Amino acid sequence: MATAASTAAPFPFPSTYNFPPFFTPQPNNTTRHSQLQKWSSLIQAWCRHHRTYRLSLVDAVDTPLFHNAVLRKRLDLGEARAIVDWMTKSEEQGGGGQRAEWIVGAAAGGNAAPNSVAWIWWRRPEEWADVLTDWIDATGQRGVVLTVFELVQGEATVSQEFHGMDVEVMMKTLNVLVKRGKAQVFGNDGGEGVKFF
Amino acid sequence: MFFKSLDLTTALRPLLLPDETLLFVQDAVGLYEGKYKIPDYQNGHAYLTSHRVCYVAAEDPRKYSVGIDLKEIDRAEYQAGFFKSSPKITIYPKPQKGKTDKSRSATSSPAVSQQSSLHPGNPSSPRPQSAVPQKSSSPKPVNATWICPICSFSNPLPSHFDPATATAATQLPPCLACGIKPPFTTVLKAAISAAASHDSPLSSTNLLPAEDNQAQRNGSRLGSSEPAGSVSCPRCTFVNHPSLIECEMCGAPLISGGTSITRDDASRANSPAPFFAQSRITNTEVTESVKLSFRDGGEKTFHERLKGALIQRKWLLQNAPPVPPPSQTAAASPSIPAIAAPESPQPAAPRITAVGIAGLEQRGLETRMNNQLVIGNAFEDLEALMASAKQIVALAETLARESGMATNGGASAETNAVLSESAAALGMVTTKDMLSSGSENLYLSELSRNLAEYLTDDRKGILQREGGIMSLIDLWAVFNRSRNGVELVSPSDFQRAAELWKKLKLPVRLRRFKSGLLVVQRYDWSDEKTVRQLQDWMEELRRVPPDESVPWDWTVFGRAVTAQETAQRFKWSVGVAAEELEMAEDRGVLCREEGIEGLRFWNNHIAS
Repeated sequence: MATAASTAAPFPFPSTYNFPPFFTPQPNNTTRHSQLQKWSSLIQAWCRHHRTYRLSLVDAVDTPLFHNAVLRKRLDLGEARAIVDWMTKSEEQGGGGQRAEWIVGAAAGGNAAPNSVAWIWWRRPEEWADVLTDWIDATGQRGVVLTVFELVQGEATVSQEFHGMDVEVMMKTLNVLVKRGKAQVFGNDGGEGVKFF
Repeated sequence: MFFKSLDLTTALRPLLLPDETLLFVQDAVGLYEGKYKIPDYQNGHAYLTSHRVCYVAAEDPRKYSVGIDLKEIDRAEYQAGFFKSSPKITIYPKPQKGKTDKSRSATSSPAVSQQSSLHPGNPSSPRPQSAVPQKSSSPKPVNATWICPICSFSNPLPSHFDPATATAATQLPPCLACGIKPPFTTVLKAAISAAASHDSPLSSTNLLPAEDNQAQRNGSRLGSSEPAGSVSCPRCTFVNHPSLIECEMCGAPLISGGTSITRDDASRANSPAPFFAQSRITNTEVTESVKLSFRDGGEKTFHERLKGALIQRKWLLQNAPPVPPPSQTAAASPSIPAIAAPESPQPAAPRITAVGIAGLEQRGLETRMNNQLVIGNAFEDLEALMASAKQIVALAETLARESGMATNGGASAETNAVLSESAAALGMVTTKDMLSSGSENLYLSELSRNLAEYLTDDRKGILQREGGIMSLIDLWAVFNRSRNGVELVSPSDFQRAAELWKKLKLPVRLRRFKSGLLVVQRYDWSDEKTVRQLQDWMEELRRVPPDESVPWDWTVFGRAVTAQETAQRFKWSVGVAAEELEMAEDRGVLCREEGIEGLRFWNNHIAS
């Protein structure tokens, strides 16, 4: 689930990606903070570019994201974990604004190590909910019942950003809408339907 | 005697002349001119050197510091403390040439006293000098005094005492105050110093008339203000009955009333309150006396060493050829070692020319003999050691150089040279001996100043060579080695002395890095300056293309530097360079890269 599809346009890396010290944890607090921020936005941009929602660190350390082949520099697993860990924390906790979330108990590729797979929220579920509501409003589909499959894979949503979205993320998004009282989810495993209000 | 301006070193100590040595230092000393305190000169350090007595104020030392040449000092008297009055040392000036001290010339010899008795200048004195039998019978100065070592009472010198003929067996009268017989040497010294300080009677006789005119004038003026004929004591100012020849109060000899009062009065009239109006006393003349008030002890040692210095008269020896070593007379052989008699005036006696190995052996033997002699003489007692200190230091240096050459070929020749030279350049060595015991603080502050001078001395340029920064441990090692193994400074004393720099406002400062490493820097050297230096360097690296092609954009990021490179560039030691780089990193100027090549530092492009 690391890189879904290699799209035609190569990912434009930021300039700091070619700065060797970027791959070394900085001891200075201020420098460290901006280093983490830069990494956070790099990971988010990378995932958005590759439509990745779920990032397995073990697999990712060998991808160009964490491995700069030109500089022959790589971010080791521990450091990558530290960065994602920072991303999971809210800004009040001195973190990166909950832009990631550890997937507990996820055994990606049989690797059951803790904190190895994370959701990367280049859009948080709340934000996805807004996007979804806007689309429903724009297309006048209030009160219409749609299946989750239709939402994710349906022809009507091809132009939308959430097309091809991870089903689990879609479910999280719909749950947000349910809490807001804007949708109702019914049905069971594999055949969920949703009605928007 | 003049107050002379002092040149101060960077550490605010008097700058010593060549050949001048520091004998003693005491803090909390005040200065008096005559009886009056001199304002702004009431709390400072008194430095006794072989040539001068110097006063350096604790506050504003550049403004308030004066020196008095020992050669202009006639004598120094010690005055014990009494209740709230601190012990004092009074320094009397030598009579000026062409302006002879009247009181003394009037009594210094029978010829003069006859002159003055005949002279109309002394009509008020009922007892002319010649009428005093002891004065005419003895050619000795009568107003010479010796100070009782028991009670410090100033006793007059016995009239029959002749320093030329007196021996230890000579009968000496006991002290007038406590009745203890004085040691023979005390009296002898007093007699000699008194005799040495007097001008020849002839010259003073010639000058007498003019002075006595003045004396007469002053005397007559005085007559109106004071009870007729009474004589005020020159020492305690008690006004005595005119018929007395000794002061009722203190026993000081009252010289012919007219003149003595005249002198006192004249100096008063000229400068009633000498220096109160002036803020600076440099280059003012001292007519009466100068007192050093010791508020924090140390006066005894100071007095002792001052007396010693006055007797030794080192200033006369300046540029004098050294005493020819006695070995020269004993052996007909030439004096080979350059250190023993470098500028020996007389050429060697007929030289037994030995050639070859025999000659070399003979030379070696002679050198050893000579060294032995020098060492033997020097270590006979402490006095002798002090006297031949120069020779011994030279000898020690030669030995050290020889042994250094023999053993450590690895050490750089430059370091060795600096080390062996520095002892000679280390002119003002602070030793515990120089200070009264127990004054730990004074020792530390002097050591601190000493260190600061050592560091800032441009001749050696210790700090410059180290790129303006040096670790305290390195400094300690160099400093102690430059003392050639004598009077070594303990690490704790050293650190405490270094910590005093800030307090004493000296031109060097001690800095503690994050890791606890202590370094020494010039005081005006700040982290900002270092950071600016580093930034300039980084900027430079960004402009110069790297030697080999690099994967990153060097026009943006520049190049990384290691601690070694930094040390090389700024001539720092590697430890210091690492600390400085980390300091810059701490300020967010640099950032680090850890790689297989080790730790390298970059200009910070992460935070920007």
